[in-house]
Amino acid sequence: MRFEEELVELLPRLRRFARGLARDASDADDLCQAAIERALKSQEQWQQGTRLDSWMYRITRNLWIDDRRATGRRGVHTPIDEAATQVAGDGAAEVEAGALRGDVDGAMARLPGEQREVVMLVLVEGYAYREAAEILEVPIGTVTSRLARGRETLMHLLGEAA
Amino acid sequence: MSFDPATVAAFVDGELDDLTARRIEREATSDPALAAEIARHRALKAQLTAHYAPVIDEAVPERLRALLAPSDKVDASLAGRREAKRMRFAPIHWGAIAASLALGLALGLKPWMPPASVTEANGTMIAAGPLAAALDTQLASSQSTNTAVRIGLSFEDKAGRYCRSFESRSLDGIGCRDDGGWHLERTMQGQAGTEYRQASSGELAAAAASMMAGDPLDAAAERQARDKGWARR
Repeated sequence: MRFEEELVELLPRLRRFARGLARDASDADDLCQAAIERALKSQEQWQQGTRLDSWMYRITRNLWIDDRRATGRRGVHTPIDEAATQVAGDGAAEVEAGALRGDVDGAMARLPGEQREVVMLVLVEGYAYREAAEILEVPIGTVTSRLARGRETLMHLLGEAA
Repeated sequence: MSFDPATVAAFVDGELDDLTARRIEREATSDPALAAEIARHRALKAQLTAHYAPVIDEAVPERLRALLAPSDKVDASLAGRREAKRMRFAPIHWGAIAASLALGLALGLKPWMPPASVTEANGTMIAAGPLAAALDTQLASSQSTNTAVRIGLSFEDKAGRYCRSFESRSLDGIGCRDDGGWHLERTMQGQAGTEYRQASSGELAAAAASMMAGDPLDAAAERQARDKGWARR
């Protein structure tokens, strides 16, 4: 199958992953667009016989990180990101349990990026810990600890009995 | 509850070995706290999955599909390249190889380097030098982008031998591990640095597919086979 055809088949899943990272639908599609362009340009770096989906997820995630860093440097902070830094981690416990019941977008927005990407890969996209670790290029232990923290925060904000 | 939270999470994520998973399942039937913890994790996963599921069914925006749409012009030239490639991709041309060996023209990966990459034994082409070293040791999953020999697929052929496809500057092909080393079962001219790279990979993959019994080795199996010296199972 042509490289491009395989990419087309991946698009729906890639859009879902990007939606989880970028949250806003058009930001997410901008991210997908940049990832596809990058993939087409660096097509020869993809090793035949290895998984194209992992490779695309890695490109998408790295572009997302680059974009967040660039945004940070420009001094642009969306209010929601400030809320994220304040509430995520230790501060999350101070928010009333179940405060965001039913509001998955709001709860995900309060996760630090490094937890949100692991939550998306494992809980939504269904990757094994090992696969997620390969995509993110971090040790498995990092995946499991970020996942555990992300989960606790989400369960707390969304309320225990969903 | 005798299971720590990480183990319960790993259970819900399907990451536990069967034995431990069965123990948790059994214990959950008599341990309400454990059962509740499992339910809590499952509920979160279900809620997240349900929340993002509709994205999959959305129509992919035209601006994304357009980037990947086939263009007639490109297709024609691609087909042309494939055809040209097929002409070159044939069983080993013994005459030509014998001639080049006789002339002392090493089929080296780097012609200016002393060790030749191919030798001949009992009428068979065998990998030598840097090519043999790459086939012996290099893992497709962890090779650098600018390595002299790029390993593609590793697989078992129908005779039970381990075979590996490779690409390099001057020679692409498939080597199968047998008595005395890596027998080169397929060879074609290397395409490094040309626009044909992708077509070449495709041809090799197709040849590998016709030779393999079962699926290609994944990263773990590849490593395991290497560590056992590519001995037949």
